[in-house]
Amino acid sequence: MNISESPPTSSTIFQPSWLTWASRMALWTALILMVFHFVVYGVYALSLLTFPFDYDQGEGFELNDTILLSQGQSPYRDNEAFPFYASNYPPLYHVILIPFAWLFGAQYWYGRLIGFTATLITGGAIAYAVYRETRHRPVSLLAGMAFFASNYIYHIGPLFRQHISMVMLETLAVVVIASLDRLDTPENTRARRRIIRLSLLLLLMAGFTKQLAIITCGAVLGWLLLRGVKRAILYSVGFGFIAGGIFLLINLSTEGQWWINIIAANVNGYIMSQFTGLLSQFVGLHGAILIPSLLLVLYELYVDRLSVYSVWFVAAAVGSALAGKWGAGDSYFATLIAATCVLAGIFTGRSLRRGWRVPSRLQVIGGRLGAMAAPLIGLSALCLFCLYGLAVFKIHLDQPLMNTLAGILKLQSNTKFSQFYDGAGWTMGYATIGQIPSPQDTANGWQIVALVKDDPRPILSEEAAFSFRSGKPVITNPTQLLNLYNNGLYDPAALVKMVEAQAFGAVIFRARFYPPPILEAVDRAYKVQAIIPMNGYEYTILIPNPEWNPR
Amino acid sequence: MGRDWIITKRHLGIVLFLTGAVGFGGVLLLDLLRGGAGDFGPTQRLALVGCVGLALLGLSLIPYGNRPA
Repeated sequence: MNISESPPTSSTIFQPSWLTWASRMALWTALILMVFHFVVYGVYALSLLTFPFDYDQGEGFELNDTILLSQGQSPYRDNEAFPFYASNYPPLYHVILIPFAWLFGAQYWYGRLIGFTATLITGGAIAYAVYRETRHRPVSLLAGMAFFASNYIYHIGPLFRQHISMVMLETLAVVVIASLDRLDTPENTRARRRIIRLSLLLLLMAGFTKQLAIITCGAVLGWLLLRGVKRAILYSVGFGFIAGGIFLLINLSTEGQWWINIIAANVNGYIMSQFTGLLSQFVGLHGAILIPSLLLVLYELYVDRLSVYSVWFVAAAVGSALAGKWGAGDSYFATLIAATCVLAGIFTGRSLRRGWRVPSRLQVIGGRLGAMAAPLIGLSALCLFCLYGLAVFKIHLDQPLMNTLAGILKLQSNTKFSQFYDGAGWTMGYATIGQIPSPQDTANGWQIVALVKDDPRPILSEEAAFSFRSGKPVITNPTQLLNLYNNGLYDPAALVKMVEAQAFGAVIFRARFYPPPILEAVDRAYKVQAIIPMNGYEYTILIPNPEWNPR
Repeated sequence: MGRDWIITKRHLGIVLFLTGAVGFGGVLLLDLLRGGAGDFGPTQRLALVGCVGLALLGLSLIPYGNRPA
């Protein structure tokens, strides 16, 4: 197939004024929507910085990992020995936070700030990638901001969780290696090597931030394979050797607890309905920008060469199937969202710039229709960005200006929180967060702390914040114990014995995540003292039951 | 490094076709080994459809010959 390599000449460039005007209107509308989403996201992120308790279940355990590492202790421990705690994530995100832990102690704001910053860097990398391919500044900005607009990124971005830092490192790795094609000449050998090594280093960092990065590692090495088999094999062997070596070293130094806690504990049951529900929701929210992304993948597959972005997109789409795992959720689509934003941006910018290379057999479509095809496609793509901006609509109903806008649009809360509207609706695996914690939520958190802090005994809490705030050690990571118990890798006897001996001053449940034998022991030896709501969840505080005879 | 071997559209097509075909056979074989012949669940049906799609995608790429993938 012959591809037209020549740039469009003045005779082929024809664009009626209405098309230029419509494109500008669509671009401005899309940009205004994205700016609005960014404001909503920024307000949410800043509000979370000051919230002193777990906003999302699990944040406190990531803080505990940071604190342990800052004290020179390993978070990969034997779950059957006191304090029955181990981390189920690799350590890089927590290692990065160590200086903050030294300076500020056990605080949530710095982990959330790093998460928020990671999304800004990812959005910037997406914008840069689109600009490098299209030289279209407004569309680059649109693509970068589309990343923040996603309800899924909004959810996970400003949390004390490692996932979004992994997405940032993956995106940087892909954007770095994408420049390889521009250096495809013999005199650039050293520059090519530098780029490949930098990209692989970023991937290594992503993998030691969260295990899920293995999908992007596969995509990048797979794309390298398309570009040169020998080179790809050599780099893959080297990469595998280094990554495997670090993995083995940590495993040896933790006497096998690394493997048990970050690999074996993550082999959970698969819930097909959770995946199909999330997939349906994902397509409903992001379908508009998935269309240009898929078209670009098909174009590259049949007309051009496959870019690393397309291979990444396909790999991330396949990897998103893991969202059906118990304990997984909407965040598992975050990598796919980043890839989608890059491809949709390139598609749009290239169309508006008339940058397509058209196969000769299609060049017979001449005249005005042929000349207008690319800008018309560009206009359609911009309209798709507008539709995306509307699909992912979410707003805080208790914030100045936003409440006025919500009133004009006649929007009311459709979530469990009276002050938050989320166009995404809900499905299993979609995090029920997004609202701004109220002063009452904070006060209720301190009320829970007041109930448990005076007893000198440690507490058994499903969220670590109450241990931190009452100056007690963090005991157990309940979901970790449950995962291991379900896989036959955890014997709860020692913890059950302590519960039956009423060795804990209080037990705090939010979702009863502990393995059944522990829940049964708590129900026997403890009694409910109070049920206190916070952030839409009811926290049950149990104290030792005086009628129980401690063993 | 000397001249490297580039993957072409034909190579990619063949790999995708074989992956789809082997996957299709693998799903059927696994069902047979587990003694559930004729008792296909929705996930297995979805896997078969995916394998057929992959194989067709691979077949469609083979005519593109030696153009780099």
